Amino acid sequence: MALQDYLRDMEGCSRCSSCKWVPFNQVKSWRFAKNCPSITRHNLHAYSGSGKMIMGLSMATGRSQLNETVAEIIYRCQLCGACDTACKVYRDDIDLMDVLLALRAYCVEQGELIPEHMMTIDALKREDNVFGEPKARRGDWAEGLDVKDVGKEKARVLFHAGCRYSYDGDLRETVRGAVRLLRSSGVDLGIAGANEACCGGRAYELGYQGESENFADDMVSRVRASGAEVLVTACSDCYAAFNYLYPRMGKELGVELYHITQYLEKLAGEGRLRLRERVPKLVTWHDPCHLGRKSEPFTGEWKGDKLLRPMSMKRTGKKGIYDAPRNVLRSIPGLELVEMERIKGYAWCCGAGGGVLEAFPEFAAWTAAERIEEALATGAEALVTSCPWCLRMFRDAVAEGGACLEVYDLTELALISAGERALAGGAAR
Amino acid sequence: MSVDEAYREFVELLGEENVSREPAVLDCYAWQPTFNDDPDRWVKRPVAVVLPSSTEEVQEVVRICNRHGLRFKSFSTGWGAWNGPTFDNVVQVDLRRMDRIVEIDAKNMYAVIEPYVNGAQLQAEAMKVGLNTHIIGAGPNCSPLASATSGWGVGHDSIYMSYSARNLLGVEWVLPDGELLRLGTLGSSGEWFNGDGPGPSLRGIMRGSCGALAGLGIFTRCALKLYNWPGPPEMEIDGIMLDAKMEVPENIGYYMCFFPDRSSFSDAMYKLGEAEIAYNALATSFGGYLDILTPRLFRKLEHTGALRSLITETFKFTLAVLLAGNSARELAYQEKVLHAIVREHGGLAMDVTKMEDFFSMLFMSFVRATIPALVFRMGGSFSTALDRNDSLDTQVTWREVIRKIKEGYIAKGQILDDLADNPYFVPYENNTWCHCEVVYQYDPRNPEHREALEPIFLDVTIAAIERCMEPLFTSDPRVRKLISPLAGNFGRYQQAISRGLDPNQAADNTLYSVEADFDFSGIDPERVKRLQGVVEQRRWQ
Repeated sequence: MALQDYLRDMEGCSRCSSCKWVPFNQVKSWRFAKNCPSITRHNLHAYSGSGKMIMGLSMATGRSQLNETVAEIIYRCQLCGACDTACKVYRDDIDLMDVLLALRAYCVEQGELIPEHMMTIDALKREDNVFGEPKARRGDWAEGLDVKDVGKEKARVLFHAGCRYSYDGDLRETVRGAVRLLRSSGVDLGIAGANEACCGGRAYELGYQGESENFADDMVSRVRASGAEVLVTACSDCYAAFNYLYPRMGKELGVELYHITQYLEKLAGEGRLRLRERVPKLVTWHDPCHLGRKSEPFTGEWKGDKLLRPMSMKRTGKKGIYDAPRNVLRSIPGLELVEMERIKGYAWCCGAGGGVLEAFPEFAAWTAAERIEEALATGAEALVTSCPWCLRMFRDAVAEGGACLEVYDLTELALISAGERALAGGAAR
Repeated sequence: MSVDEAYREFVELLGEENVSREPAVLDCYAWQPTFNDDPDRWVKRPVAVVLPSSTEEVQEVVRICNRHGLRFKSFSTGWGAWNGPTFDNVVQVDLRRMDRIVEIDAKNMYAVIEPYVNGAQLQAEAMKVGLNTHIIGAGPNCSPLASATSGWGVGHDSIYMSYSARNLLGVEWVLPDGELLRLGTLGSSGEWFNGDGPGPSLRGIMRGSCGALAGLGIFTRCALKLYNWPGPPEMEIDGIMLDAKMEVPENIGYYMCFFPDRSSFSDAMYKLGEAEIAYNALATSFGGYLDILTPRLFRKLEHTGALRSLITETFKFTLAVLLAGNSARELAYQEKVLHAIVREHGGLAMDVTKMEDFFSMLFMSFVRATIPALVFRMGGSFSTALDRNDSLDTQVTWREVIRKIKEGYIAKGQILDDLADNPYFVPYENNTWCHCEVVYQYDPRNPEHREALEPIFLDVTIAAIERCMEPLFTSDPRVRKLISPLAGNFGRYQQAISRGLDPNQAADNTLYSVEADFDFSGIDPERVKRLQGVVEQRRWQ
């Protein structure tokens, strides 16, 4: 929808600034009370969720104009959604996240483009991935795994790696391990290999919603053609796109959808995945935004006065995937889970989202460093997550800052506990 | 006036990233719809916004404004129309970067804070050392420094911790010419523990009744008295508000008390104050709870007279009381006293502590004042009809007066139907004083609702003046002009103080000392006549 369609939402802002804070019931300290990387780093009110809505209102009502400065403020935001969750503690009639997305679409429509994002879109158009890497090499990560190619033979479960896991050499072992783990649990698994493409979620977040829809159409036709009954993805961004964005666009994949954390939980629950080896570690769990608050299922578009919208149609961040990864971690013998202050629907972002990593890498790194500090404050020796973007951010932040903290994907710990990989202390740093 | 030159100096002082003149960015400081009865909802756009990070930088910002003929307006967390500029040449001083808890002195029970520390942050840190801070009813998103130094300040905890101004100790104050003034013991010994001396005590001038609302300079640090907190050092709560789940701390008790009539309610409140047992106390109507928990239900209550009557009349005099004992034995004593008082006045006390879900939702809602902002749910915005602090019985009357005023507007569809009786009523100082603001909700996107705000404001102001009560917004230049002659011409003194401390009139002082006329065009002439009559009758000679 266009910016003008959100006038009522924008006009609804009372400027209470709840959007800048962890929901107040959950404020546990001075240090980790703030929820929004954008306003926390840049301080002018314009950087907050409220501020962006007010800028949108100002532009939509002709009081001010979009320009390069304003566009940069709009894009210096990970679209992590923490503001939306906090706002909705008190408001039933504002969809802050939708306004932020509409503002980006407005920037694109008005030609206020971020050069780095144009490169991403160009890369997507050329190579079907956000990095511009050759599409022919998308399946290289699975080399030697002897896994089914769903283009050639049927598999019940289609494993979708996502752009970063496919091309980031450092992270490749994570998805290779996931495949090994699923297959050793007896899952009839296939991948699309070089024919896998981007989910299009990133294009949507950058404001190129038409491009995103093209990718969604393409993805739907490929998944349907594969004949798979189940789709498992290791990428949180892709999961959120499949679970929320596609249905909102009216696209249905026609498969049962799981994030890898959910599928591991299911396999463990069915006794097919046995987590038996001890992993004696004190760990803390980072909720990726796209797996948490942004992954809530789409429940329909409410037309009319949002004050009268049924609560079941209000996105609150509560229905994200929070329990599955924690349940898997808790089922690993010897492993102890300690929580950070900002978790679940009000978790602090890793910094990568919304095109920030591409356009403003120093801001992305600052955001990740904040999370590392929070993880260290728990006393944990390892930070665990399940999103390639978060993983990349945290590993780089630890390397850069020299923090004594290991960083794992949940799959890696499951592999160790399943006896598929040896525990190598510090290997994941 | 040279905005360009001043702006260059701001950039030099604070760095490019901490100042802005971008119109869309400045509009973020001009959108102030809360407690703004102007249907437009925008206030003046500042000429620039600056973000100082220290007292020295604040002083220099103020000096730059003085040098270049600009005015300045500071705010801490910035919620409410009084935070915005009121002149065309105002630099908005956003104190967001001054966000430190400088010190918590657990032994002497005070905290030293900067402007952008909010109530939730200070409380979370204080609780870790067994202490607590007063949080105003507006909520924990607000700055304790702001309410203590500059405006109003009651809350559900006022029965235990009084109101903001009472808790103010040492203060660091940048005067409107840039000079730094340290009040109380801070001014003589550098210690924060007392607001009244042996250093200079100018608290009356600094704060007065409702605060100067940034019209007399900028407060950069203050010390606030902290209170005993017998609960756990950290709350283990799952969920964020209505979905909250927690275990009841063993030394906490929570009661909903229902009284049969006005006099039993008032008398019981006086007794409760004398007994000094409560940690939190809030009186509202039962409808007030339903209103925030099930706002959509109210849209369906039209033509359901029986149900309306049940809700409004049966539970009219409801008092929520939180007890917190230092031990199980002390809690038992408090409960015994509470039961005795309620029983003696023909009331009923319901132990909410046993109602797990309700208690979970209400506990932090009370202790941290997280609940009031739920009034947004019904229409998207609200305002309040407030008489300033007054005696308990006067406030009970006020509740009735405003209910009647509201009913007229509800009948015409100009505000939302919340059954009219919706007070936020908190007692303090042994319950000899009370605060009662009657909430009215509206949809700010509905032009009819917006157009009604000013007439309601006028009606409420008239009602307060007729009863010799102080209207909430004496900070409004129109109200000040009306009531100053009825109260010792206080406006003249405020103007003299403003001129004395602010020779260049650099502070945006509209809400402190400026006077203006109401625009009565479009207002019922009878109502205007009534107002003018009562003002004339009560004028000091």
